[in-house]
Amino acid sequence: MRIAIIIGALLTLAALAADQATLDRGRKEAGLACTPCHSLRLVESQRLPRAAWNKELDKMTGWGTKITDRDALLEYLVANYGDDKPPAPPAMSKNGYTPRKQQ
Amino acid sequence: MSFTRRHLVATLASGAFASQVARGADDTVAIPGKRPMILHNDRPEDLETPVRYFDSWLTPIEVFFVRQHLPRPPAIDLETYRLAVNGMVSKPLQLTLEDLKKLPQFTVPATIECTGNGRGFYSPKVPGIQWMRGAIGNAEWRGPRVSDVLKMAGVNSSASFIDTDGADVGLASTPDFVRSLPMNKAMHPATILALSMNGQTPDIHGFPVRLIVPGWDGTSSVKWVVRISATAQANTGFFMNPGYRYPKYPLPPGTPAKPAELEVIEGMPVKSCITSPEDQEKIALEPTTIRGFAWAGENAIERVEISVDGGSRWRDTQLSPKKLPFAWRLWSFEWTPADRGYYTLMSRATDTAGRVQPIVSPWNPSGYLWNAIDRVGVTVEKSA
Repeated sequence: MRIAIIIGALLTLAALAADQATLDRGRKEAGLACTPCHSLRLVESQRLPRAAWNKELDKMTGWGTKITDRDALLEYLVANYGDDKPPAPPAMSKNGYTPRKQQ
Repeated sequence: MSFTRRHLVATLASGAFASQVARGADDTVAIPGKRPMILHNDRPEDLETPVRYFDSWLTPIEVFFVRQHLPRPPAIDLETYRLAVNGMVSKPLQLTLEDLKKLPQFTVPATIECTGNGRGFYSPKVPGIQWMRGAIGNAEWRGPRVSDVLKMAGVNSSASFIDTDGADVGLASTPDFVRSLPMNKAMHPATILALSMNGQTPDIHGFPVRLIVPGWDGTSSVKWVVRISATAQANTGFFMNPGYRYPKYPLPPGTPAKPAELEVIEGMPVKSCITSPEDQEKIALEPTTIRGFAWAGENAIERVEISVDGGSRWRDTQLSPKKLPFAWRLWSFEWTPADRGYYTLMSRATDTAGRVQPIVSPWNPSGYLWNAIDRVGVTVEKSA
């Protein structure tokens, strides 16, 4: 009984570790695949179900994005930016405006 | 001469911007020429106006929202700039900026709103920038009429559309941003090639030459215009089909549309928003002004009502004086809360055609045209 629990716990840990490795690969893939054309903010500000993320990857592939680790990327997007996650906190830009001097 | 200096400053500024962006998406960036804005995407720029800035009829450029589909093109040389006018015309033209300035100039006050403004309110969530209230602004646009340019080129009477292309190009195989406009709207006296906006020519907003299609969704108003072609058929590029289309028949929320049952968006619905107080703000138990804006595409705003009790009773607000098609009206309501506690404030606009803002904005797969009655919650606390 005790051995079964230990084996079970070890298997669970292994599965989680695998998941984490996949998510890490997915994060790396997001940096490689998405950022040539736009900032990651565009991705990270959205909350979508798996099917919608999958469709976005199809769309971006069609637009010339090179995705080498697609499965990991999808897992990463769903795990972090799924529609079950709370909305992204609004980000603000810093001030870039200098009032013109009166002529 | 002043151009050379401006060009240098712009180049330096964009260089500084690029190096900031290169540090990664988690860094906060400053957008040259803009006050702090809600940042949806910093490359290319997708910036939302915080509602606290909507307190003037003309939205200042330093807080005007920005929606870029593609990266901004390199700064356009005003000396070598040419606008190609071609397609179904008898005299194809290559117009300089001076040529455009010599045509009769018209000032058009018009509100411009991103087609997806309010997408963040839709449930279930849909892909796209999660704009809330602030992908909208009102400006005075000035320049020659598109109709004068088309007449000068001898446009063929059987041409039914114009294609408008900007200088921006897509990275990798991202489609080019080209929009089609039906000829009757292109020939409308208020449809202009703006050479300025509130008297300025900000590159980030599409100058030196930007198409302005008053009363239609912002995506119609193509930036950095370099080509106008008269055509027999509507353009079929991505940004006309399937992009920027709306279901002909309302859909159950969360369900896909049949591509054949999606239509090009023309015009905009009636809409109002509450800009002060802000949602979940705490205010004192004393007289307060509730403020906001309302607009109705090609119509003018007739009336804006406010409810401070969750929509049970409605009262008329005070409207700003200019009652124009295309341009918004600001509204205000002096309110003295009866007591402490939580209040649900709602605003409802009616336009000159009798359209009234709905309680429910129809869900659609791209999250366009959000115009539900606006609603904010405020907590009234005892005055200090």
